[in-house]
Amino acid sequence: MQQLWLIPCLPLVGFLLLVLGHGRCSRSVARLVGVGSVAMAGLVTLWVALDFYSAGAAQSYQVQLWPWFNAGTLEVSFGLYLDGLSLSMLFVITGVGSLIHWYASGYMWQDPDYQRFFAYMNLFVAAMLTLVLADNLVLLFLGWEGVGLCSFLLIGFWHQDPANGYAARKAFVVTRVGDTAFAIGLFLLFRELGTLDLPTIMALAPEQFVMGANRPTLIAALLLAGAVGKSAQLPLHTWLPDAMAGPTPVSALIHAATMVTAGVYLIARTHEVFLQAPDVLLVVALIGLFTLLISGFTALNQTDIKRVLAYSTMSQIGYMFFALGVGAWNESVFHLMTHALFKALLFMTAGSIILAMHHEQDIRSMGGLRRQLPVPFWCFVIGSACLVALPPTSGFFSKEAILIASWQLPGYGPWLWLGGVLGAFITAMYSFRLLFMVFFGPQKAHPHEPKGWQFHPPLMILGALSLVAGWFVLPTATVLPASPAGHPPTWTIVVAIAMPLLGIGIAYKVYVRHQWQGLRFVQWQKLRQFLFQGWGFDGMYKRLLLTPFTTLAQVNRNDMIDGLPKLLIQLSRFLHGLFSQLQNGQLRFYIATLASAAIIVLALALKVL
Amino acid sequence: MTYGEELIRHIWPLALFLVMVGGLIVLMLTLPALLGGKRVSRAVNEPYECGIVPVGSTHFRMPIPFYLFAIFFVIFDLEVVFLFAWAVAVKETGWLGFTEALIFILILFAALIYLWRLGALDWRTSRQKLDLRNLDAR
Amino acid sequence: MNWLALTSLMPLLLVASISVILLLLLAFIRDHKLTCWITCLGLAMAAFWAFADMGDAPQQVTPLLIMDDFSRLLGGTVLLVSLACGWMSYTYLETADEIREEYYILLSLAALGACVLVASNHFASMFIGLELMSVSLFAMVGYMAHSKQQANMTLEAGVKYMVLSGVSSSFLLFGVALIYAYAGNLNIDLLVAAEGPRLQSGYLVIGSALLLVGVAFKMSWIPFHMWTPDVYQGAPAPVTGFLAGAVKVAVFAFAMRWLMMAQGGYLDLLLLGLTVMAVLSMVVGNLLALRQNNLKRLLGYSSIAHMGYIIVTLAASATLGAAALSTALEAAAIYLITYASMTMLAFAVISQLAAQDRRFESGTLAHYQGLLYQQPLLAGALMLAMLALAGMPLTAGFIGKYYLVLVAVDSQLWLLLSLLVLGSSLGLYYYLRVILVLCKTPVGDSRLTLGASEKLLLTLLVAVTLWLGLYPTPAIQWVQLAIQ
Repeated sequence: MQQLWLIPCLPLVGFLLLVLGHGRCSRSVARLVGVGSVAMAGLVTLWVALDFYSAGAAQSYQVQLWPWFNAGTLEVSFGLYLDGLSLSMLFVITGVGSLIHWYASGYMWQDPDYQRFFAYMNLFVAAMLTLVLADNLVLLFLGWEGVGLCSFLLIGFWHQDPANGYAARKAFVVTRVGDTAFAIGLFLLFRELGTLDLPTIMALAPEQFVMGANRPTLIAALLLAGAVGKSAQLPLHTWLPDAMAGPTPVSALIHAATMVTAGVYLIARTHEVFLQAPDVLLVVALIGLFTLLISGFTALNQTDIKRVLAYSTMSQIGYMFFALGVGAWNESVFHLMTHALFKALLFMTAGSIILAMHHEQDIRSMGGLRRQLPVPFWCFVIGSACLVALPPTSGFFSKEAILIASWQLPGYGPWLWLGGVLGAFITAMYSFRLLFMVFFGPQKAHPHEPKGWQFHPPLMILGALSLVAGWFVLPTATVLPASPAGHPPTWTIVVAIAMPLLGIGIAYKVYVRHQWQGLRFVQWQKLRQFLFQGWGFDGMYKRLLLTPFTTLAQVNRNDMIDGLPKLLIQLSRFLHGLFSQLQNGQLRFYIATLASAAIIVLALALKVL
Repeated sequence: MTYGEELIRHIWPLALFLVMVGGLIVLMLTLPALLGGKRVSRAVNEPYECGIVPVGSTHFRMPIPFYLFAIFFVIFDLEVVFLFAWAVAVKETGWLGFTEALIFILILFAALIYLWRLGALDWRTSRQKLDLRNLDAR
Repeated sequence: MNWLALTSLMPLLLVASISVILLLLLAFIRDHKLTCWITCLGLAMAAFWAFADMGDAPQQVTPLLIMDDFSRLLGGTVLLVSLACGWMSYTYLETADEIREEYYILLSLAALGACVLVASNHFASMFIGLELMSVSLFAMVGYMAHSKQQANMTLEAGVKYMVLSGVSSSFLLFGVALIYAYAGNLNIDLLVAAEGPRLQSGYLVIGSALLLVGVAFKMSWIPFHMWTPDVYQGAPAPVTGFLAGAVKVAVFAFAMRWLMMAQGGYLDLLLLGLTVMAVLSMVVGNLLALRQNNLKRLLGYSSIAHMGYIIVTLAASATLGAAALSTALEAAAIYLITYASMTMLAFAVISQLAAQDRRFESGTLAHYQGLLYQQPLLAGALMLAMLALAGMPLTAGFIGKYYLVLVAVDSQLWLLLSLLVLGSSLGLYYYLRVILVLCKTPVGDSRLTLGASEKLLLTLLVAVTLWLGLYPTPAIQWVQLAIQ
């Protein structure tokens, strides 16, 4: 395990090299450093994994690198922690990350800021690895903010367009709401348990907290708020669709595969705290359920290929939250892994299509592309199959497990299951709507497919992995509690398999055959508008928060509080002017001053008598 | 004797002195006005009422060496003042005193050499010196 | 006078002999470089001698001078400052249209006067030292009298300094006379004759107050500061460095001896006056500097403020009593040494710049615009000096200010402490403004040249300023040794 520190270090070194050598090295060197550092980190991960498995998977390792700071009883160190959960995340980040970097090296080749792009990407990977490897919550928070920063930088990568800058700012500010709650949660946790060391928290939480009491509920709720912000769940989800302003590999890496799942990782990591707060767990499940339904319906009405995928990502993370809430911890992380694979695949395929279509992202101007773009087509089919959970793709295994677990939940179980199945149906509808509209129907454009070793191999590898990932076994079982035992009735499984098929069928009828147009319930203009704009969340926030805030800012344009310091400045300047007048350069005045001052000093001295 | 009395005892000569100075000034300013003649005529305002009529301006420049010589006189003649002080105690101070006086004189001597070499003792204007040098050169 | 006393007085004798040697030398050979070398070597030897003697027993040399470790430490500091001043004068004078060599005689005499002042424990020697220093400085301030560019400024400054200094000296002398009238002798320790004071203590109070006037003038404590900006601006840059460095150290060293170390309770009599001057100097000094546009004037106001800060040590030793006296003395000595180092750094830079173009010292800050790109070494050194004067950590200025704050907190001088903080924050504004000007885009692209000897001097001063800030322990130990 001694080489563990190398994993976050390698991308960081890559970042430093790229930044320090900015403008000095060629594109190919930047490519070598940028892709190479992440690939090396992936190799080291494999090495670490070999060690981990050979030592028996039921273990965890804590490596103290060096102390960071001490404040009172709080001792924070740069320490790494490796167990089944963080190892699974390492696989996802370095594995999918390497493939996306590989792909991006081709995708971004024409961009003038090639080197800057890879510098940010490497920094992001370093921060994300710090996040998952941190052995204490402060270091985790550092990584958490680091990925937020990189997300901001990369969304606004093409900062020449103000809209991109606006999107970046929106992402930063909205997630910051969650981050603040997260930070408060950390303070509370430290007050209650006296430590922020993760293994210690996991050991102490069941002992110190009373289940369902106020304290753990509050802490868990605050942590949940942080997770919700980062993972774009209701009600802090509005930033993710706008975040698609960034380059497509960024969307694949940050806004699909890794960063947005950090919230899931956080909840899984602190599951002992959440287990002491059953109410919050139910809220987690409900947030997941509502997010997956609402974003599913929204995805059904989007016209931008990347926005469809963005809403789909929200919806799938909703499934993960849903799984966390119903106690299917392992299944949630499993779905995280499979989702990372097939969503990265979908995004990168979308990237290829966008490149082929000369940066056209509107699916209404696509169509019939399956002949011209065979490789993207088949990759997209695989990705969509995984997304809608067709057996035997990986998505089927992970989603089916979640649905089964939800049925098992005592009390609300079947209701939650029903919601989940409905979500699966909508997922099928919107995914195949996208597939049919892009690849079937009459041909509307003449695409030029980007080819080469940077485009097809990563897609194919990811496609293959997405297909077979269902048989992978993640080493999380030793870390996370098992889902409720038992077997649901067989008909539930049948329904769960049938629902996506039904959805695909309807999508086929509506979008390929153009029948059953009544089912295109988006005929109703107002409703379509409402769904297109994501259920009006943006408008609501604008009216509730932005407008009052900007109005207040307008009112306080001259900054009333600043008046006090300004007054001080004015006073200083006034006094300066006043005293400067005395320095008039006239000797007689100086002598007179000297004599008068001497009299004053005499008087002050005589006061002593 | 109380504090106040003692204070008065200390202060009264000073006060008397101040009063006398003030009185003298007043006297000097008022007496001429009272006693002086009041006749006004053209000749009264002449500098020399019954002498020759002055010609030229009083604003003329003294040559700089004039001041220099005055300063040198102060420096080198007042050295004697210190030597007087040494002279009255020459036996008591012994060789140490002699050495100190010697150093004092030697330093002044060094200064004299310096001034001499610098040409400070040369009563000629720089213009004249320049002319002289040109003459030598020829 | 025995042999031991003579050797311990050696630093002073060395400096004195420089001036005589130079007199004789200049009578026959005029060589600027040789003159400068002799002066610098003599000053260096004297400083080395002073520091090498540290730890030896105190020597009372005649009733006038005492060579103890305090004299050796601060005398050595004054000599080093004079050395730096002589060193930086070389290029400055080399480019001047003025007779050069006599300057070094005056410099060594001024250094001698400053050393006598530091070592005096008798009012007579104090006056001799002070006047020797001042009279030499009159000539030095007005040295550029024949220079076409500078004559007006420098003569005005010289005359102002002479007249005002004369006035203040008369106050001082009158004060000394009154103290003599009270005590019957001129020893700095108030050794009253066995039969008791000959006169009322009112004489002592008035005498001390008038003596303080003289000291305050030289320290340019407000309201005795009026001469400072004019003289700082008009004097040649190296001379201003001497005024700001050596004079302040020497006069405050005397003030420490007189007010803190000597018996007689002068400090209690003068505490109120000193506090008022501290308050005024800290606040008004910084306010005056705030928007000042000439760097030398700005540094003049800055020195007013810095000298105001150091009064804190005097006030502290008055309130704390004998127990914490050594802390206050230590703080004052360290403050003086750090202040001397950073001030000399600043003036060394100005001298080198002024040697190339006199507008750097007489003109506005605009001449410094973009200097960082034209002359990185000089600009970097000036930045360091500004940061140090502002009291940034890792520079000498921080250590000095840290000690002052420590002393102020120990003796609970909350008013002075809060004004010290207020003054420092005001100070930050104008120090950073200078740095900002240095960093702006340059207007012209005049390349400035810098000789090896100037580089060496700057490097040494930078090293001292950084060393005092980064690793002050040896310096502090030295000071503690000297204070005991």
